[in-house]
Amino acid sequence: MIRPDAPVLLEIRDLHASVAEQPILHGVNLTIRAGEIHAVMGRNGSGKSTLSKVLAGHPAYTVSAGSVLYRGEDLLALDPEQRARRGVFLGFQYPVEIPGVSNLEFLRVATNARRQERGEEELDTFAFEDLVRERLEVVKMDPAFLERSVNEGFSGGEKKRNEILQMALLEPLVAILDETDSGLDIDALRIVAGGVNQLASPENATLLITHYQRLLDVITPDYVHVMAAGRILRTGGKELALELEDRGYDWVDAELAALAPAPLEVG
Amino acid sequence: MVAVSWTEPVTALAAWGAALVADLDGAMDGAIGGDSDGAIGGAPELASAAGPGADANGADANGADANGAAGSRLPADSDPAAPSPLSASPLAPSSAGDPAAPALESRRQAQRRLQREPLPSRRQEPWRFTDTAALAAIRPARFSGEDRRLAALAAEALPPPQAGWCRLLLDGASDPLAGVSLPEGVEPLPDDQWAACLPAADASEEEPWIGAIAAAAGPLLALRVRAEAMARLELVSEAGAATGVLPLQLLLLLEPGARLELLQVHRAAGASLTAVQARIAVGAGAQLQHGLIAQGNDDGVFAADLALRQGFGSQVAFSSVVSGWGLSRLEPRLVQEAGGARSRLRSLQRCDRRQVADQHSAVRFEGPEGQLDQLHKAIAAGSGRSVFNGAVAVPRAAQRTDAAQLSRSLLLSDRARIDTKPQLEIVADDVKCAHGATVTRLQQEELFYLRSRGISAATAGELLLRGFCAEVLQELPEAAALWQPLHHLLGEEAPAP
Amino acid sequence: MSTAAVGDLVSQPYRYGFVTDIETEKIPKGLDEDVVRLISAKKEEPAFLLDFRLRAYRQWLQMQTPDWAALGFPAIDYQDIIYYAAPRQQSKKASLDEVDPKLLETFDKLGIPLSEQKRLSNVAVDAVFDSVSIATTYREKLAEHGVIFCSISEAVKEYPELIERYLGTVVPSNDNYFAALNSAVFSDGSFVFIPNGVECPMELSTYFRINSGDTGQFERTLIVAEEGASVSYLEGCTAPMFDTNQLHAAVVELVALDDASIKYSTVQNWYAGDENGVGGIFNFVTKRGHCRGDRSRISWTQVETGSAITWKYPSCVLQGADSVGEFYSVALTNHHQQADTGTKMIHVGPRSRSTIVSKGISAGQSSNSYRGLVQIGPKAVGARNFSQCDSMLIGDRAAANTYPYIRSQQPDAAVEHEASTCRISEDQLFYLQSRGIGFEEAVSMMVSGFCRDVFNQLPMEFAAEADKLLALKLEGSVG
Repeated sequence: MIRPDAPVLLEIRDLHASVAEQPILHGVNLTIRAGEIHAVMGRNGSGKSTLSKVLAGHPAYTVSAGSVLYRGEDLLALDPEQRARRGVFLGFQYPVEIPGVSNLEFLRVATNARRQERGEEELDTFAFEDLVRERLEVVKMDPAFLERSVNEGFSGGEKKRNEILQMALLEPLVAILDETDSGLDIDALRIVAGGVNQLASPENATLLITHYQRLLDVITPDYVHVMAAGRILRTGGKELALELEDRGYDWVDAELAALAPAPLEVG
Repeated sequence: MVAVSWTEPVTALAAWGAALVADLDGAMDGAIGGDSDGAIGGAPELASAAGPGADANGADANGADANGAAGSRLPADSDPAAPSPLSASPLAPSSAGDPAAPALESRRQAQRRLQREPLPSRRQEPWRFTDTAALAAIRPARFSGEDRRLAALAAEALPPPQAGWCRLLLDGASDPLAGVSLPEGVEPLPDDQWAACLPAADASEEEPWIGAIAAAAGPLLALRVRAEAMARLELVSEAGAATGVLPLQLLLLLEPGARLELLQVHRAAGASLTAVQARIAVGAGAQLQHGLIAQGNDDGVFAADLALRQGFGSQVAFSSVVSGWGLSRLEPRLVQEAGGARSRLRSLQRCDRRQVADQHSAVRFEGPEGQLDQLHKAIAAGSGRSVFNGAVAVPRAAQRTDAAQLSRSLLLSDRARIDTKPQLEIVADDVKCAHGATVTRLQQEELFYLRSRGISAATAGELLLRGFCAEVLQELPEAAALWQPLHHLLGEEAPAP
Repeated sequence: MSTAAVGDLVSQPYRYGFVTDIETEKIPKGLDEDVVRLISAKKEEPAFLLDFRLRAYRQWLQMQTPDWAALGFPAIDYQDIIYYAAPRQQSKKASLDEVDPKLLETFDKLGIPLSEQKRLSNVAVDAVFDSVSIATTYREKLAEHGVIFCSISEAVKEYPELIERYLGTVVPSNDNYFAALNSAVFSDGSFVFIPNGVECPMELSTYFRINSGDTGQFERTLIVAEEGASVSYLEGCTAPMFDTNQLHAAVVELVALDDASIKYSTVQNWYAGDENGVGGIFNFVTKRGHCRGDRSRISWTQVETGSAITWKYPSCVLQGADSVGEFYSVALTNHHQQADTGTKMIHVGPRSRSTIVSKGISAGQSSNSYRGLVQIGPKAVGARNFSQCDSMLIGDRAAANTYPYIRSQQPDAAVEHEASTCRISEDQLFYLQSRGIGFEEAVSMMVSGFCRDVFNQLPMEFAAEADKLLALKLEGSVG
């Protein structure tokens, strides 16, 4: 939903970043307002996953230039957990398995950290169980997964549902979903996408990072950005995704070549 | 190291190594007109009595070496009926002060060790679970002329080599390369490269005692596989009904990118000791598929020290099947010198009656990103004793190592015993190291399932046992089929269900 | 960054390092037969016990310090140790009101309130200060159920026949070097006796405090559960910070008759030395349980966080048919600490079962070794063992060693061992942080997750205490 007067949630300005001394992002600009759904598309190595990691504050990534304002605040100055508590959520492409740590306990601690940040009361075990059971509906997840260790032994689809469940509990204002569709069969994709759609509201915004059109068949973006060589090459509406689907990414190379000598690192 | 302890009677255990050295060297020294140094050339009694002062005597021996002609130090044989002595082989260094000096020094060290140290006993940690009585019963001397005749007789009955494989027969005395055309890319290792295979003179870690037996006799075979070459080699020793000691020291160098399929086969039917020391250096990016089959008898002893050094990016797959020996002790030791290599170890050992089957493996990663996949299997039947000790060392330099070790043992009799002891030592945080060990009998549910389909208990047991063995057997090089390893493993006694 | 930070987290200062200034009666340093006789005389022991001590002392003189563990420590000068030190309080008081308030205060500071009003509810405590027991709470209430819980010195006087029947029957006086030393000079410790068919109505606990800098602590604990009896027992330990090493060589013997059950838990927090490895307790302990009766059960749970050196293998001899042995262990080492710990499960009886769960956490330049023995004897038909040994490494200078030894002589038995190594990965930390969980809490969650299988075994009353102890080691500023 595009409303020009909606408040800006995230403002990325000329963002340069590197990992292991290797520059990946070469000046990303992006403005996201409340209510919008953005999709960033691009080939492997174009820098789109790096963008998501940088926004979430992964310690392995270094920002060398540029700024990111989240609701007017310097996002880059915050620790990863502070970002999460303030409402920035990253759905991982590969959710991490943490043996021995109960999923339920993990969800409760995370939810309460977010609630505390918002000045809400912490939920005790019982109140939280009620909440989590309600939110399980969003992703049609079996409550048995709550009793297991975080993501341990989960299938690819179960891990992604667990990600969206976390999103449902943390109620972020900016949700960045990194390749949420990868490794999902069509039914799981529908469930996950259904969850994302359900959680989208005029107050929050979603940034989808994806390689394929198929996710955008089930979640309709307001903007589509094409990323290449660490920058956003072109921005358009949802028809841009269809064009990509049609023509592939080869034209991107042509456009890149026409540009100033931009380095072509892989990331 | 004080004389007092030697006022006790000299036991057979204490004298064994010294007697063997005397035999190995006595023959040789005799050939060149005698060596005045009693420590090496003397009678067994003398040599063993010299034990406590071995350090001093060792130094003397060293001095004697320096004076003697280096060529004369290589194994010779006083038996005129013997096949051509090794001194005629390409291994014999041509002049004194030559590049083979490290080989000579390594041999002298091994001799001094045998003279100094008695046979291992259970008081020593590496031998805590292993009874060495069978070894002590072996006559501490090389094969005599009659023994060689018996061995040669047995060798005549060996199956012919598989097509595409080059077989070298190791009888401990004659040149294994005589009359053999080596595969393309395989050639005798030049003297000046022996050092690359031999243990470093200042080796900080204690070499296994059993390795000294073969090393004391000096190298029998030294080969290299040229860079990027591909070859198949079968090394066979057949002791037949001979008695005494068959020392086999082997040096093998795989140059970078070389690929070798190697099958070692060691057989014996009498009270002999087949003592192998193999030093194999696998160059960067080289690949070695290495199988070892050792088929023995209740009086026979098999002792093998196999040291493999792996260069960066190399791959080694070593599979061993050892069965039937009164005592077997296999010590595969693998070092990934620069990390980044892959090692796959598969082993199977079976003991029955009063046999002792022992494997002590050791893997050490000296660089990052090495991989190990190790599976050891053991079967203990009758009153057999099976021992496995598997050490894996991951020091600080070996970050991102991925090592897995699994030991699975089957205990088939209530008189048999299994001792298994994995040993993991890790000083690196970013590593994946897993190990597991099980000791069980055959799975009763599986046995029942087979029987419920009409299969007899004995057959069902054998089927399951075959399944248990197959996992290792299938990884042997293809030429292994000649030697019917499964038949030899199971042929002794139908497994009790 | 995270590895260093995690390292900082586990490097918390020791909170129990204070010294209580109290007048102490000590005998002169050194050990000979006269010292053994003197200790026995001070405790007014019967002749059989003096004989036991002297026999052990003579055996000890013939023995060698064991050197097979993966430990390095300087030779101990046994003539430079005081073998008996006691707060100058004439005799053990009938009422806590008469106990020196300084002692009560000490235990208060350690979180072990002994005074009547503040007692831990439903936990009876025996408090041992240096060489003597200074108080045992709830004795009368326990006596109503026939349960004996007192210091071993009192037991020697009040129940000599029980002591004579059981002492040294699980750990013989010549079992090993340190057990022999303990048998010769043991000072105090706890005695527990649960009669036939009695379920002990409350948790029992002994708290050991070393206060003197030059005194060795040689405690001796004996727990006997008769047919059908059961008890849960916990020991805790602390010591002041000295820059010298103190020797602690304890012996614990457990006896479980038919259908009896003993659960023995340890939260060990001796002083571990400073970050350079100076000072700390040398902890050489022999703990062994004897499942003497059919269907008996002995369970060891230990949380080891202290000591400069730990040499300790709480074991079970599973003699009874269908007997059960368990060992659950968390060992945390940091700085220059060295721990060589594990268990022995000796299966003798048919269908005996054992479970081993060991979690080792190594940080700094410490060395943490699991050493275990599972032995299945020829008569242990149908015996089962399962072992799980996991190591967590924090930093690349800590060592984690695993030496699980298995010997089986019974085909109809199954032994299974699994081990793995893990670390707190940057990815896991980031994942938790990206959900709003702070760094410290994230580390703490993962460490407790790693240890959960063991913490679950601690008695309810002490689970919190163990969690607190781990949290204590883990809390602090983010580096």
